[in-house]
Amino acid sequence: MTPDPIPVRSVSMLECRNCGAGAPFDEHFCQQCSRILALGRHGDYFSFMGLPRRLGVDLRELERRFRDLSRQFHPDFFYNAPPAERLASLERSSYLNDAYRTLKNPSARIEHLLALEGLPPATSDEGGVKVPPALLEEVFALNEELDEIRELRVSGGDAGALRARLDAARAPIERKRDEHERRIKELGDRWDDEAGVGTGERPATLAALREQLLEQRYIDNLLATIDRESAGLGAP
Amino acid sequence: MSKVVGIDLGTTNSLVAYVKNGVPVVIRDGSGDALVPSVVSLDEDGTIIVGREAQRRLLSAPSRAVYSVKRFMGQGVEDVTAYADQLPFGIVGDPGGVLRISVAGREFTPPEISAFVLRELKRRAEEHFREQGEFDFEVDRAVITVPAYFNDAQRTATRDAGRLAGLEVLRIINEPTAASLAYGMASRDRGTIAVYDFGGGTFDVSILKVEDGVFQVLSTNGDTRLGGDDIDALLTAEVRREIGGAALDDSNDQLIQAVRKAAIQAKWDLSDEEETELRLEPMPGAPAGHLRRMTRADFERMILPLVERTLEPCRQALADAELGPGDIEEVVLVGGSTRIPLVRRLVHELFGRPPHSELNPDEVVALGAAVQADILVSGRREMLLLDVTPLSLGIETMGGVMSKIILRNSTIPASGREMFTSYADNQTAVDVHVLQGERELVSDCRSLARFRLRGIPPMPAGMPRIEVQFQIDANGILSVSAKELRTSVEQTIEVKPSYGLTDEEVERMLIESFEHAETDIEARLLIEARNEAETVIHATEKSIRRPDFDRVAAEALEPGEPERIAQALSEATHALEGSDRGRILQTTEALNKATRHLAEVVMNRSVREALAGKNVRDV
Repeated sequence: MTPDPIPVRSVSMLECRNCGAGAPFDEHFCQQCSRILALGRHGDYFSFMGLPRRLGVDLRELERRFRDLSRQFHPDFFYNAPPAERLASLERSSYLNDAYRTLKNPSARIEHLLALEGLPPATSDEGGVKVPPALLEEVFALNEELDEIRELRVSGGDAGALRARLDAARAPIERKRDEHERRIKELGDRWDDEAGVGTGERPATLAALREQLLEQRYIDNLLATIDRESAGLGAP
Repeated sequence: MSKVVGIDLGTTNSLVAYVKNGVPVVIRDGSGDALVPSVVSLDEDGTIIVGREAQRRLLSAPSRAVYSVKRFMGQGVEDVTAYADQLPFGIVGDPGGVLRISVAGREFTPPEISAFVLRELKRRAEEHFREQGEFDFEVDRAVITVPAYFNDAQRTATRDAGRLAGLEVLRIINEPTAASLAYGMASRDRGTIAVYDFGGGTFDVSILKVEDGVFQVLSTNGDTRLGGDDIDALLTAEVRREIGGAALDDSNDQLIQAVRKAAIQAKWDLSDEEETELRLEPMPGAPAGHLRRMTRADFERMILPLVERTLEPCRQALADAELGPGDIEEVVLVGGSTRIPLVRRLVHELFGRPPHSELNPDEVVALGAAVQADILVSGRREMLLLDVTPLSLGIETMGGVMSKIILRNSTIPASGREMFTSYADNQTAVDVHVLQGERELVSDCRSLARFRLRGIPPMPAGMPRIEVQFQIDANGILSVSAKELRTSVEQTIEVKPSYGLTDEEVERMLIESFEHAETDIEARLLIEARNEAETVIHATEKSIRRPDFDRVAAEALEPGEPERIAQALSEATHALEGSDRGRILQTTEALNKATRHLAEVVMNRSVREALAGKNVRDV
């Protein structure tokens, strides 16, 4: 027995509210009546901006696309349009601004990719308090040093000397950060290269990327702590 | 087709401009003056007077005038207590709500006072278009500018003022961005620009990137309570201390206003001169005439701390744009306070390059607003403004902490979502408190509104998934919508603005203003008649008081003519004391007629005197 044919409408289709024509998910304007399409639930900043899902992004190209699309969507140009089109213009412009802001920033870009690929965010609460194992040594040393500096500050230690100690404490952390930056770049390139090759390596690459990003965020917090201590010493 | 205009609704002065044949121009009055002082004065009979005349009355009847109302837009009484001390009008209202201005026995909200100024601008523009021979001269739509650092409540108050003035507010745009549009018309088509806008009551700095006609704001910062007003107040307080005695009495509005006027004049003088004199008009309780000498160095020493307060926002804006001072290719100055040499010097030092000031800093914002108005109605796409929201938007979460949803310097329009749920079984409503600001604690942020999500389907605690969407539109103004995701039920939201008017309140004020419209027109016509009468009377008195009048009368006037003139003058002067417009017009016309011959005689004699002893070649 053959099942009844069920009319299938792909979930990746939009429907033009003006003429009822279907449109691919990444279209912005109806191909039939050329009106702006309602946004729907999009979710993929890469495809929205007409970019491949890659971590390597040409920033000049990204900016050019942002300007081009802004020129197409912006509410300024829909001032006299019917309410539905004005709303669509507002939604698409807001979404475009979000997409541009996210893709422009390297770590936000990775974060977005993680979400698209179904991984938990690299800001997860479980990781927030726990020291990443790879950083245990540095964090331990830093905390000891910071405790001593705080004690000396309270007992009126020389600000200049304390500042020098803070700078010294900062150096290994900054080296660690540079290391992560390089590593993240490498993993990103690898993830891009693995596209289309059909290897089973990509999920592992992405998981490693997430791990590095988590650690990098932790390092940034450490650096911010040092900055605060430094500010507590007053202006040099 | 009715007309659209761009309006710069300033703390001290306001202007209106429009695009004529593709070029923005400001609209001037008969004497070439583009500035309408943002001063509103109430006459004895309740008549509203706006602009130069109101500014004059600020000296003669200070307790009946309101100025700098922009500083009160979207504010609560608790925000302005320190500033309100030297003001001749009262500030009333309960803390945490909209403040009201109490003047001449009546109370107004700040948007109502601003609406008076906007109506005057609308009237001025309509008069201009009528004179241009336009068939449809009505002005019913406008782009109005606000300081970039204005929060949601201040923007909404400005939009309400537009509505109350009978204008459809096409768009609220930021003053520094408007200025960059005006500059962009003529200058280079790409680059990184800093706009330093130091006006009468507010300070803004915006960093923009311009490319292919897209003006993209990268960051903005500022202080909505720092402007030329503060310089005036500082100087006024200083001079009052020096005078002592009656000048120290805070209730002596007339003396305070006279000192303030002298202080402002000195400030202006010192932009061009190295040294000036503070002079006071004669009045009881104060030494008349010369008060003190002031050098530019004295002045700069006094105001340095105020001007330095503008530098930190500049550094923050640069940091937020991830740029250093050296990355800025152009620096543009906007606002009257940038005429002060010290301001220019500090800006030059900060950015390491001389700032631009080719366009009149008072007019450039209105010109930009006109350009934006033209873009909106004409659909021209060669220029596009992409602005940012100056302050982060968030909601109150457990423990009185602000949780950010849309970050500051996000390009607008911008949207953000937040999920809510219930904490008790079958709970059908959730309260949400919306905030704006950068600080952690709710108490340190600006409360924008409180609203209640109602109609949540009864479910066990924690089950509902209510998604609230926050949308900041291209005006930088927030709207909120909500949906329960499990059932797709749209929630009704009643937003109660913390420092704003509800739609109903605006409607009511609008109806009231229509009721007053009739008397307002009457009032305007009366003012015009009076102004005309004053001009004719003044000219006549001047002629009669000429030292050679008796000789002129004997030689050139007919017998009885001087008596007829004196009679007409006395009748016109008398009529001016009352408020019967018909009588004022009539007696003015009579005086005009009676003096026509005299005017000719005087004119001819002046010409003869001027030519006496000169030969034709010199003329």
